[in-house]
Amino acid sequence: MKIIGLIIAVLTGALLIYGTVDFPGWADPASPASTHLSPHFIEKTMEETSVPNIVTAVLADYRSYDTMFETTVIFSGGVVCFILLRIFRRKEPEDRLYRHVLTGATIRVKEGGKIPPDSDDFERIDTLWTPHDLIIKTVCRLLIPFIQLFGLYVIAHGHHSPGGGFQGGVILGASIMLLAISQDLRTAVQRMREKVDALLSPTGVFIYAGTGALCLLLGLNFMDYSALASVLYVDPVTARSHGILIVEIGVGVAVMATIIWIYNNLSSAGKYDEGL
Amino acid sequence: MDIIVCLFLFAGLFFFTGGAVGILRFPDFYCRLHPAGKLDTLGLLLALIGLALFNLHHFSLGTLLTSAKIILIVVFVFLASPTATHAIVDAGVRAGLAPWTKGEKRR
Repeated sequence: MKIIGLIIAVLTGALLIYGTVDFPGWADPASPASTHLSPHFIEKTMEETSVPNIVTAVLADYRSYDTMFETTVIFSGGVVCFILLRIFRRKEPEDRLYRHVLTGATIRVKEGGKIPPDSDDFERIDTLWTPHDLIIKTVCRLLIPFIQLFGLYVIAHGHHSPGGGFQGGVILGASIMLLAISQDLRTAVQRMREKVDALLSPTGVFIYAGTGALCLLLGLNFMDYSALASVLYVDPVTARSHGILIVEIGVGVAVMATIIWIYNNLSSAGKYDEGL
Repeated sequence: MDIIVCLFLFAGLFFFTGGAVGILRFPDFYCRLHPAGKLDTLGLLLALIGLALFNLHHFSLGTLLTSAKIILIVVFVFLASPTATHAIVDAGVRAGLAPWTKGEKRR
């Protein structure tokens, strides 16, 4: 089986390398990309999409197929991580450690033992639990809202400045990871459950592809956002700008959820009970 | 104005240099984190204040906003950098790394 995989990988690589022979020379000014596409994007982006940031317009409008499948690749990455790493353990580990929040006393509960149910006095802790550091905890609590705000800003401001869905999504995901690092994985998972991750990740891809399909339903080409003009009650040029924003939000949601999902699976080796 | 900006930038550079020398020359992990945490924060603070002032050359609402954003970077670095250093030291202590004492070989 390994040998077949190796042969396939080598063959695909060889075909790809063979394909590069047909490419135009590196930075060739006479290549079609330099003579037709780039001047068009540079000159026409503003009047066609009313987006000042050409990179965003190319990414989410002119080449939106590419970006849609990039988002799908990220989603697949999350799913693959989940399938490879996730371990569903039916039974609880034999000994569980709880901490009495008020006194700080740690108790070990043997197999079959129970703590008073629905009690807020006890919190479950990892076997390698170390006391939460007050400084780190406080500063992270202070910073995480600003990080999330900045992530939203980056997503929403992709039209005008460097940024967009991918970057903003990563920042949003990193804020939850910071929570997991500064406290523990259990706290972060409580804030953002696995089901939420697994649901939001395809939702982002769906928002993207759904926007494209909506354009198709409204009578224009797939991903031609000017079709949204009749839904959003704006002129077609502004509709393209808004379409880019909707798509960017989809990308942001997908990237955020996927990155948290991957982190949770990796840091706890798929068990979700203990970890950083 | 330019002179003040230059003074700030050079002061920032001075602290950055001190930090770099300190990281190279101090004897152990904890000592090296000391210049890395402190001097870089102060150096960045001074350099960014210099840049914020330089940005105010043409005074308008736009440049004022940009300067405010630069100062915001300072605020967040001021919060995050010492915390990061603290977390690294904390991890070192928990991992059981003994501090260097006088007379030992540098490591």
